[in-house]
Amino acid sequence: MTELLETLKQQVIDALNLEDLTPEDIDVDAPLFGEGLGLDSIDALELIMILEKEYGIKLQSPAQGKEIFKSIRTMAEYIQEHRTK
Amino acid sequence: MKEQQTNATPWQGTTDGLPWMHRALIRVLGVVPVGFVYAIAAVFVVPFYVLARPQGYLVQYRFFRRRLAFWPLKAFCYVILNHYRFAQVIIDRFAVYGGRRFRFEVEGLDDYNLLAEGKSGFVQVFSHAGNYELAGYELRQPRKRLYALLFRDGSQTIMENRASVFAPNGVEMVFVQPDMSHIFLLNNVVRDGNIASIPGDRIFGSRKFVECQFLGASARFPLGPFQLAVTRQVPIVAIFVMKESWSRYRIFVRRLTVEPAPSAASRRALPTLVAQQFATALEQVLRRYPEQWFNYFDFWQNEDSDI
Repeated sequence: MTELLETLKQQVIDALNLEDLTPEDIDVDAPLFGEGLGLDSIDALELIMILEKEYGIKLQSPAQGKEIFKSIRTMAEYIQEHRTK
Repeated sequence: MKEQQTNATPWQGTTDGLPWMHRALIRVLGVVPVGFVYAIAAVFVVPFYVLARPQGYLVQYRFFRRRLAFWPLKAFCYVILNHYRFAQVIIDRFAVYGGRRFRFEVEGLDDYNLLAEGKSGFVQVFSHAGNYELAGYELRQPRKRLYALLFRDGSQTIMENRASVFAPNGVEMVFVQPDMSHIFLLNNVVRDGNIASIPGDRIFGSRKFVECQFLGASARFPLGPFQLAVTRQVPIVAIFVMKESWSRYRIFVRRLTVEPAPSAASRRALPTLVAQQFATALEQVLRRYPEQWFNYFDFWQNEDSDI
């Protein structure tokens, strides 16, 4: 899990071009949207693409999105449970 | 052109009037010639809005003076014409709810049909110029469903009538939600081969925008529709539905170019380029139908108020 969390942090930084951040700066339990990392709702598109391209996960229920993308940890937990690659 | 984020409260256009008024108008338009209702609007409604909503008058006056360089008298006449035309397009929407149909001529229908019959989903972006809602009745997509991202209009009558008229054409309404579920839904829509219809001239939901050159000055356009097309690498098309006479509209279909983006880094630059294509296409249409710009707020943000 620790390795997945670190990998995921780097993938989020790369996908969203968060040039000022390093993986160490990101608290895995901090909210991704609003407070915490301060992402905008449209940034969720890039997070969706990380799940699809890197882990072979296609989100089916739009209502699930907010829970999955609550933090890096919730993303990692979902990935661990549903990844196909 | 650059990507930025605004904290300003988004301007939300809603339809005036009480539900019983809307229901009555729909019934009236089912039996009375639409020209008669236009005349009522010209005599009573247009003067009321010009006098009672000076902000809308001033915004439009500045639009004609500054963006189109009209002389003061011409600008004044076009403001009146703009209010009349806006009344007409609203009446036309209610007339459609009442069963009336309009004639349409479509420029770019082959392009649209190619997309509608293809396997890929696509993004359909529009402006609050002309009467885009009527495109939902004319442009058909038998193999796909169209999901239209809308403001939740305060009027239940309007929402119910929209839903009932849209449903047979495979059109569903999607509303911006605080839990961002509309983003995930629209992602699934284009991923699964359907159509996402999103306004290209209102910054709501996401606060991110790009600045584009539009009618001679820098203006803000929402990042969302362009980002969705680029991220999912799907086609994007601009649709403008402009009123030409009492009974006829012309629909313009303009395909926007989304270059392949092999990496996240190259994807970041692309939405601004696509947004500029949209702004340019919108400008071309507005120069032909200048009185049909229906954004009653300061679209250019930094306009001085000395005119």
